[in-house]
Amino acid sequence: MNTIIQNILVFTALILAVMFIVKTYIWSPKKKKTKACGGDDNCGCH
Amino acid sequence: MSKQINVALIGNPNTGKTSVFNALTGLNQKVGNYPGITVEKKEGICKLPRGVKAHIIDLPGTYSLNASSLDENVVIELLLNKNDKDFPDIAVVVSDVENLKRNLLLFTQIKDLEIPTLLVINMADRMSYKGISLDIDYLEEHLQTKIALISTRKNEGINNLKNLIANLKDLPIKPCLNASEIDQDYFDNLRKAFPNQLLYKLWLVITQDVNFGKTDRNEIGAVANFKTKSKADLKRLQQKETIKRYQFINNVLKKGQTIDISQAKDLRTKLDRILTHKVWGYTIFFVILLTIFQAIYDWSSIPMDFIDTVFASLSEWTKNMLPSGAFTNLLAEGIIPGLGGIVIFIPQIAFLFLFIAVLEESGYMSRVVFLMDRVMRRFGLSGKSVVPLISGTACAIPAIMATRNIESWKERLITILVTPFTTCSARLPVYLIIISLVIPEGRFLGLSYQALTLMLLYLIGFGTAVISAYILNKILKIKSKTFFVIEMPNYKLPMFKNVALTVIEKTKSFVFGAGKIILAISIVLWFLASYGPGEQFNNAETIVKAEYAPQNLNEEDLKQKIASHKLEHSFIGITGRAIEPAIRPLGYDWKIGIAIVSSFAAREVFVGTLATIYSVGSDDEATIKNRMAAEVNPILGGPLFTFASGISLLLFYAFAMQCMSTLAIVKRETNSWKWPVLQLVIMTAFAYIVALIAFQFLK
Repeated sequence: MNTIIQNILVFTALILAVMFIVKTYIWSPKKKKTKACGGDDNCGCH
Repeated sequence: MSKQINVALIGNPNTGKTSVFNALTGLNQKVGNYPGITVEKKEGICKLPRGVKAHIIDLPGTYSLNASSLDENVVIELLLNKNDKDFPDIAVVVSDVENLKRNLLLFTQIKDLEIPTLLVINMADRMSYKGISLDIDYLEEHLQTKIALISTRKNEGINNLKNLIANLKDLPIKPCLNASEIDQDYFDNLRKAFPNQLLYKLWLVITQDVNFGKTDRNEIGAVANFKTKSKADLKRLQQKETIKRYQFINNVLKKGQTIDISQAKDLRTKLDRILTHKVWGYTIFFVILLTIFQAIYDWSSIPMDFIDTVFASLSEWTKNMLPSGAFTNLLAEGIIPGLGGIVIFIPQIAFLFLFIAVLEESGYMSRVVFLMDRVMRRFGLSGKSVVPLISGTACAIPAIMATRNIESWKERLITILVTPFTTCSARLPVYLIIISLVIPEGRFLGLSYQALTLMLLYLIGFGTAVISAYILNKILKIKSKTFFVIEMPNYKLPMFKNVALTVIEKTKSFVFGAGKIILAISIVLWFLASYGPGEQFNNAETIVKAEYAPQNLNEEDLKQKIASHKLEHSFIGITGRAIEPAIRPLGYDWKIGIAIVSSFAAREVFVGTLATIYSVGSDDEATIKNRMAAEVNPILGGPLFTFASGISLLLFYAFAMQCMSTLAIVKRETNSWKWPVLQLVIMTAFAYIVALIAFQFLK
């Protein structure tokens, strides 16, 4: 029983950790594409 | 009946405007609010010569007529609305003798509204201290005004000011700048469309978010024969206007004002003279840096040892107290050592930010920016690039965002590209653990070798950033101009509250920002190190027992061999072995390889990863440092972390682009994947080559 609970906890922690990493570094909502900065680009630097 | 005139007191913040108001009105004043808004309105009455009475309004401080706040709107709305009962018969612009150039921007704008404008130069008593002398006649002639040189502190020049206000009819109303110079075609069209309006007033109505009597912006836009410009075009014209104004001001002050710093006598100037001196300035900055790094090492050692021991004991306690099983192992071997690898660096990071906050609060940091501008210009950077480069010692992400105030796109791009070379706080844990392993503890002239190495790494990072900037400046074919303007704040004793808040906020963001990802990565790494495919992993115990049967090992050694065999054939071991051929020439084993790969998420993950990998299957309560020191090189034998492999690793981390978040922010700031990809490839390749040379040369 103890082994089963411990394994469930480990796999839950693993899934949560993987989801967090994916959400933080891989998946992100797509943003509107704009042209590269430089010249008169209105990037906040001119 | 005596005549009453409206006098508007206008000026930049901190010019002593309210002191002038008090000197003119005495007790005849009242304080209220502007109708509808809670911006303070101060009014008073002043008796002037020849029986003239002045109704004086102390307007909120503003740097220019380009409003950016409610306070500044009040000033513009009053100056643009002739129907307002408070519309001034005379505008008195109060300036501060120490910041005349900046103050004159507002003066020239008000003058161009063709309101009789008088210039008050306050704090005249500071002139001798600052080595400033003024040619008042020349200034009056070229600024087309009358000037009152006063000192409210010494109550000097107030009567002359009253006389000048009373004689407002003598003030010329000729503008300083011909508005058409900003854009000939645009202003010609504007003049044709609104022949009865003052051109500069129209320009302000178009560009500012204020009302202008019966003519508002929409009405201007509705006139068929006049075409308004886009917001971006208007912004550019506004910048052109500011540049033209400063060119005018510079020309006037070139002859009208002399500043001889060698004659200055005040403490601030004396300090500035030393701290921004071309030899002493750099020497003092270097000594301050040296002191900081020495203090980081000396002061943090006790709390760091304490934290290290606490986490080792906590791990041991967890294993003993909780029922044995996979989750207990995850806690004791994965999560606790992984987090311990971050918490241990809190004292050093807190001390680093303590020093940075003190330097910023005291006003010294602005001198450093000024000092470094001389160096930066030679390398294609602006003085403003120093701010991101210094902020980069905390984190490259806010530092790259701080480049937004660099006007020139080329200088901004170069700063963005080189900032990741500066030693960020995420590199600190890596540096500290490797330095403590491979650099001896001796001292040279009272400074520890370890502190000197750390400082050297900071200098290498900064030096590489500057040299890269020089190369990029030569390679990148982007044309742009820039101006460097920085206001030197007065020196002051740092406020304890501000320093404490900065230290807490920065440390918290380091621990919690990095902590979450480290926790997640520790869990994944522990899993990958504790599970594996195939016979070699599943039957590790049988294989090892059979292999070592003739040697008759004791139980402890056998356990160690089994753990080591399992780790080698776990998922992480297999991955590590796959990349080992690429990193072996640098002096690293597959465990370091795994740490390098996982620390691509964030550099500080390196230490947490090694702590997790070395803890898997281990029962003793050794600290992270001891476990790393005990690692044996699988090929050469002897310690894995030698001087050669340690230096190679330090240099790899000094140059490699090991940070996903930084790449993401570079992509966002440049709006292109081109620059972050180039950054990643070039920095990593360079780091690999330098680390390879260092190891092969030193081994």
